[in-house]
Amino acid sequence: MAVFDSDRMPGLLSAQITVRYAGKAPVLRGLSLEIARGEVVGLVGQSGSGKSTLALAILGLLGRQRAIVEGSILFQGVDLLSLRERELRNLRGRALSLVLQSPLASLNPALRIRTQLREAWRAHCNDDATTEDCDQAIESALRSVSLPSSEQDRDFLKKRAAQLSVGQAQRVLIAMAILHRPALLIADEATSALDVITQAEILELFARLNREIGMSILYISHDLPSVAGLCQRTAILHEGQIVECGATEQIFTAPAHEYTQRLMAALPQLPARREAFAAKAKATAVE
Amino acid sequence: MKTIGRRACLQIAFCFVFFSLVLTADSALAQSGGELRFCLRSEPKTFDPLLVDEDASLSIRYLTGGVLVRVNRHSQELEPELAESWTISKDGRQITFKLRHGILFSDGSPFSAEDVAFTMQRLMDPALHSSTGDSFRSGSGAVSTKIVAPDEIAIIFPAPIAGVDRLFDQVAIMSAHSPKKEAAVLGPFMVAEYKAGSSVLLQRNPNYWKKDSKGRRLPYLDSIRLDIQPNRDVEMLRFKRGELDLINTLDSDYFDRLASSSPGLAHDAGATLDSDFMWFNQVASAPIPEYKRAWFASGNFRRAISQAINRDDLARVVFGGHAQPAIGPVSTSNKFWFNSKLKVEPYRPDAALERLKADGFHLQNGVLFDKSGNAVEFSIVTNAGSKPRERMAVMVQEDLGKLGIKVNVVTLDFPSLIERISQKFNYEAAMLGFRNVDLDPNGQMNIWLSSAEDHAWNPQQKSPATAWEAEIDRLMRAQASSVDPKKRKESFDRVQEIVAEQAPFIYLVNPNALSAVAASVEGANPGILSPQTFWNAERLTVNGTTRASR
Amino acid sequence: MNVARKLACAVVVAVCAVSLAANWLAPEGYAKQFRETPNAPPSHQHWLGTDDVGRDRFARVLYGTRISLLLAPAAALISTALAVLVGGLAGYLGGIWLRLARGFTDLFLSLPWLFLLITVRALLPLNVSPMVSVLITFFVLGVLGWAASARVLSTSADGLRNSDFILQARASGLHGPRLFFVHVLPNLKPVLYAQFWISIPVFILSEANLGILGLGVAEPMPSWGSLLRELEGLISFREEPWKLAPLLLLIVVMTSFQLLLSNEEVTA
Ligand SMILES: Nc1ncnc2c1ncn2[C@@H]1O[C@H](COP(=O)(O)OP(=O)(O)O)[C@@H](O)[C@H]1O
Ligand SMILES: [Mg+2]
Repeated sequence: MAVFDSDRMPGLLSAQITVRYAGKAPVLRGLSLEIARGEVVGLVGQSGSGKSTLALAILGLLGRQRAIVEGSILFQGVDLLSLRERELRNLRGRALSLVLQSPLASLNPALRIRTQLREAWRAHCNDDATTEDCDQAIESALRSVSLPSSEQDRDFLKKRAAQLSVGQAQRVLIAMAILHRPALLIADEATSALDVITQAEILELFARLNREIGMSILYISHDLPSVAGLCQRTAILHEGQIVECGATEQIFTAPAHEYTQRLMAALPQLPARREAFAAKAKATAVE
Repeated sequence: MKTIGRRACLQIAFCFVFFSLVLTADSALAQSGGELRFCLRSEPKTFDPLLVDEDASLSIRYLTGGVLVRVNRHSQELEPELAESWTISKDGRQITFKLRHGILFSDGSPFSAEDVAFTMQRLMDPALHSSTGDSFRSGSGAVSTKIVAPDEIAIIFPAPIAGVDRLFDQVAIMSAHSPKKEAAVLGPFMVAEYKAGSSVLLQRNPNYWKKDSKGRRLPYLDSIRLDIQPNRDVEMLRFKRGELDLINTLDSDYFDRLASSSPGLAHDAGATLDSDFMWFNQVASAPIPEYKRAWFASGNFRRAISQAINRDDLARVVFGGHAQPAIGPVSTSNKFWFNSKLKVEPYRPDAALERLKADGFHLQNGVLFDKSGNAVEFSIVTNAGSKPRERMAVMVQEDLGKLGIKVNVVTLDFPSLIERISQKFNYEAAMLGFRNVDLDPNGQMNIWLSSAEDHAWNPQQKSPATAWEAEIDRLMRAQASSVDPKKRKESFDRVQEIVAEQAPFIYLVNPNALSAVAASVEGANPGILSPQTFWNAERLTVNGTTRASR
Repeated sequence: MNVARKLACAVVVAVCAVSLAANWLAPEGYAKQFRETPNAPPSHQHWLGTDDVGRDRFARVLYGTRISLLLAPAAALISTALAVLVGGLAGYLGGIWLRLARGFTDLFLSLPWLFLLITVRALLPLNVSPMVSVLITFFVLGVLGWAASARVLSTSADGLRNSDFILQARASGLHGPRLFFVHVLPNLKPVLYAQFWISIPVFILSEANLGILGLGVAEPMPSWGSLLRELEGLISFREEPWKLAPLLLLIVVMTSFQLLLSNEEVTA
């Protein structure tokens, strides 16, 4: 059982896991990660380091990849690894949700937006819920992600993935992810495929959702600046382990681990950016 | 436009050919004979004349084998060949042949009574399993031969065989001594080359004994090329292109097409011995409802069905007129054995209905019911893939429909059909055809005897189920054991009458013998007996110039 | 709606209407034999001539269209549904299921069909009315015709299984049949449609071939299959072009359907 510092927010997730895919060396080796309620944690690591593997492990979706997961993932005081598939399913999309890297590929090309949102809502609604309840939930989620509601654009919900812009698609996915007000949202490279402006908007959105709903976010990325802008805490994943974890400001300004230092050194040293970045880091710390 | 032009040209060419044919008819015979080409529709299974039992081998045996006597395919009379004359003993157990002198096999070895004796002994050897030999087996005991003189031989059978002399038409004499065995032949041609799957080349036999009336040695032809070609479309196409000279049997569709495109090449020789017919299942143990079995067992019912079928329409519509309404087991073309007192069952639906009423059937709202109130419905099974038979079945369905009878036509693959009609007996009515190669009624013993396997409506009976079947049994045996053709004919005439009365088989049509002969072939006279177009192959010639112009 | 699609629509509507009106357009019916004029060329009485036993070809085409146009798609529906169940589901489940289904499909395709169909025929009674016979035939075709489609579907579904949107749907808590029917199936639609449309002409022709085994549409009832069988051994189309009418109709109708459907796909 993990012990939380008294000055930190109460614990939401505490993972201590080893994962190996069938016939391969372990991808994650005794990785340990903690996320507190309402906290935005950044997870940084180069591609292939096992970030997605961790995300899927938390969601219990590694079973189909013929992966072996050992250890424990305590979520709201329950070990996810001891749950049955049916119980896990009940958490997925409700308490735990996922946003993936490429928004257009993550939306079903054959379905209308409305259908997909409705399906996601129905997966966890009460038996006596009506279509109106559903549509209301969708409306409010759309509002939360700043997408047009049905009064503003009647046809928006009738569109399919191919008719959306990347930014819109990512917003739809986020709306889908927050439909049930999850305790933890895992954003796996959710902004990596976006252009700079859209990326900034989505980061804004994450920050706002974190503020407004009090939802924890595990923000997975290999993009350091975005992590710096969004996350309160940052964990560095390297060779299957979290080599360093601490307040974002500290990681960026005084990296302790040799790998982290290399990462920071690799950042482009644009003075203007660095200033803005330091300012932002400060602002976050003040908050 | 172009095609019309070409056709006109062709016609002119034909006219020209025709003229030159007429003008040079005599002189043509004086020329050398050329090569005749036609198709075998399957691979010959054997070149051993005593083992022949399928069409392709039969054709080769006919062209290469020398026989003691031959049934003239035109007159249907028996004619002397290697035997100058023959006598049958009073008791019918012995036949004595007087042989021709100075005849040589194709390889030069001389022909004598010894060869006949050798052939007969080999033929009758049970280990050979010759189907030709089977027709000579009568009673128990062996067939023996006695060489009376080098040119005279007696063959003695354990029991009399009716019409035994005609059976020798099938026995090609083999040499007793020639090292070439079956390749030494006495017929007009000999096998020169065989390419499996492709062709057989026959060359004229230089030692063939026969001469024409002018003293010229037969055959006229130098060679015959037999291409193995199962596909009839291809055969037709090649004939039209002038690559083939004969098509031995055509179906009516092809015939009509050929007759309209090149009249004069298509020959209709009249009704064959073959017949198409239907019958009802009369097997007592058959898995069909009791009331249906009662219908089928009734002679009145069967005759009524027979009367309700319009045979003229069948012949006209299905065969384009190239078939004759059938009368009975013997085709009108069988000059000696047909019972000329019999006539085609006239199409009389009203009379048919009267007959049915006599059996307690009645019409109600256009549906025929039997006396216990069952609607009359039955199925006719026939073999799939035979267009004429499928069409006939449809027409019979329509004809009987007018009588309020519902007929279901079911086409089956041949093995399934045979299984149903000869083993399981789970059918109601069947439509099939008989290919009859034999003029003699002995060839039909396997059908008429109630104990026989091919007694289709109720085969392999321990004792005849009905009085009329018993009577047929008696008559068939009587004709088979008599050597007096007159008495035999009387018996078989009576059989034909009983069959007409009882209609165990409802005979529908005798298809005509249709063939095609190219204009380049001279001396052809297609007949109804196999081999239809080349039965007189030794007297045919092929005019090379005519062929080139085709 | 573009011109081609309008035309296709018109063709389909016209063919359906005309075949439904067969009773009025061909009051003599499809079975009546005009025995005085078998194999006749087109004339006033017989617009498409008559067949071998003098039946009006126009009437037979109308009634045959009615039967084939109704039953071949029905059979295609059955076989496509089965293909979805076997191929689509297996592809979506993946792993051992996929391998099992592929093995089963291959086995099914390599079965000695002739023999099995002969057995089917042997099990059926001989006295079935033509209507029942035709229903049985198309049902058998539908039930037996799924394997090839299943193979194609399993490949497509296999490709979908690892796609992001399925992962996303899973992460949203969707699972089981609902996930399959809502998320997987719509993406198989193009393949499904293609298999469906391929099946129809295949079934129409197979039905004709089944006639050889005593299955198929029984006489005197017409079907496109039995009408196409007339073309067997027809050497010169130039002499009797009207005999091609059923074939032409088949091609036109199938093309129209395909046009209609593919356009719907795009615009929907
Ligand atoms: N289904 C799988 N089967 C086997 N190996 C896998 C599978 N998925 C990922 N891996 C391997 O695991 C390692 C980590 O992958 P991943 O978690 O996707 O990395 P990241 O998201 O950090 O780029 C990679 O080396 C990858 O090759
Ligand atoms: Mg990844």
